[in-house]
Amino acid sequence: YIQRTYNLTKGVNFEEEKDTRYMDLNLGENEILKARIKQLELAMDVMVHSSSFLLPYNPAEETRYALVVLNQNLPRFTPLLWEHATLRLCADGGANRIYDELPLFFPHEDASSIRNRLDCLYIEQNYFRYKPDVIKGDMDSIRRDVLDFYVSLGTQVIDESHDQDTTDLDKCILYIRDSASNLESSRFQILATGALGGRFDHEAGNLNVLYRYPDTRIVLLSDDCLIQLLPKNHLHELHIQSSLEGPHCGLIPIGTPSAKTTTSGLKWDLSNTEMRFGGLISTSNLVKEEKITVESDSDLLWTISIKKTGLPLENNTP
Amino acid sequence: MDVMVHSSSFLLPYNPAEETRYALVVLNQNLPRFTPLLWEHATLRLCADGGANRIYDELPLFFPHEDASSIRYRYKPDVIKGDMDSIRRDVLDFYVSLGTQVIDESHDQDTTDLDKCILYIRDSASNLESSRFQILATGALGGRFDHEAGNLNVLYRYPDTRIVLLSDDCLIQLLPKNHLHELHIQSSLEGPHCGLIPIGTPSAKTTTSGLKWDLSNTEMRFGGLISTSNLVKEEKITVESDSDLLWTISIKKTGLPLENNTP
Repeated sequence: YIQRTYNLTKGVNFEEEKDTRYMDLNLGENEILKARIKQLELAMDVMVHSSSFLLPYNPAEETRYALVVLNQNLPRFTPLLWEHATLRLCADGGANRIYDELPLFFPHEDASSIRNRLDCLYIEQNYFRYKPDVIKGDMDSIRRDVLDFYVSLGTQVIDESHDQDTTDLDKCILYIRDSASNLESSRFQILATGALGGRFDHEAGNLNVLYRYPDTRIVLLSDDCLIQLLPKNHLHELHIQSSLEGPHCGLIPIGTPSAKTTTSGLKWDLSNTEMRFGGLISTSNLVKEEKITVESDSDLLWTISIKKTGLPLENNTP
Repeated sequence: MDVMVHSSSFLLPYNPAEETRYALVVLNQNLPRFTPLLWEHATLRLCADGGANRIYDELPLFFPHEDASSIRYRYKPDVIKGDMDSIRRDVLDFYVSLGTQVIDESHDQDTTDLDKCILYIRDSASNLESSRFQILATGALGGRFDHEAGNLNVLYRYPDTRIVLLSDDCLIQLLPKNHLHELHIQSSLEGPHCGLIPIGTPSAKTTTSGLKWDLSNTEMRFGGLISTSNLVKEEKITVESDSDLLWTISIKKTGLPLENNTP
């Protein structure tokens, strides 16, 4: 099977990457999945989705993550997301959350030592493990003591208080996209915490960010669920990590009705079904298979619950 | 043009002479801090399934100087309705013993708990003055997003029924299209942060007055402009749109009477 898959993908100019540091790890299954992803995405307009950011951090993982922390309670798996991310931003008051709440995930340790912790791989470079790379936003929520602390650690602060037209999440997305030349853009994903809950106009504005950047993979995360955009007129394959997410899910036609949506792998599948606010929308659905497919004439929000147990909270692999 | 007047009188102290009749639906999220006030206003009080757990567990916390048990006897829901997969057995037994009507709809998986409660209230509405009738729902926001979306959809599916979704941070209500809406703002209790959200369908033309950033035949759509982080400037806001919109306004953290002890 591996040979056949490689022959197929080599036939469509699949560029093989070799990371020799990790040759001793058993990457057989990952190679199959990688090859299949490349094959599909080149053959059709297929988008493959997988919540790998909920799995333990794997240094060989292909996807590059950027983490944006907004100003709501940190989800319990924030340390795990932090591990996966190569770029970490706080949107304004999100910095308060990192400062105040991240130490709470390590109750056996002193708060100050968490905030000042040096990454053991980069001690000689004074690389602080839980220091955001950037704090950006209009600076009306961040506390003075929090700002001073991270500035002293070397966090870049971008004050955008003059710009009242875009949300804090917007500002962070723009920063990440501008920095994306350093990141492999085709395997690039933005994870955002704290975008849901609180004031509903804030939440709506954050959902609108998904619609306004349909070419950028952005996942909104809370303790209870995740949300991502499934752009219209693509065949979406969602690979479900059933120990970590589900079974509750939904497809929400926010913004515009959908004349025809078709799914497979759900308890209540849709078959060229119309969905609209005021009529039917798919909520309280259940994932039945490990692979869900969705195809729609309209942009949809996919949402799936995140399990309360079974999630690794952090990864201590050096 | 049909005018609809809106006012958050349910955030004011209870007045026995008030014209509007309120029904309260409690869903299964943390109770907002002004829940006792809403309870006072309501002539009909329903718990949707696990909402009964919230009344049982959390209402006594608003009265730390009083005995939890006496609070529970005082705040008895009229009805508990839903598919009964969240309510605790001890909570159910307690309210049954007090005389609460329990309507088990576990056979009906097609409608949400909020749906089921709205239907019950509309069926009972002959007892309530329907033109001055409003449903207040707590716990509809937050938690799982598909639940939240289903609850927002309830507003769209009953555009002729006045339903307000309430949380600690804000309220949400539907402004049906092709009406002239007048929103009377209680500025000591709500605002200034507000928004107009075209959740279901784009709006080709929306016009407002009284906001910091008013709209003037402005197009709004997801993927483009929607009105968020707006501010109320006047005590009367007007909104007119070709599309159903969600109006949302923040609820102030202070200045809100938590309960009303007027006999």
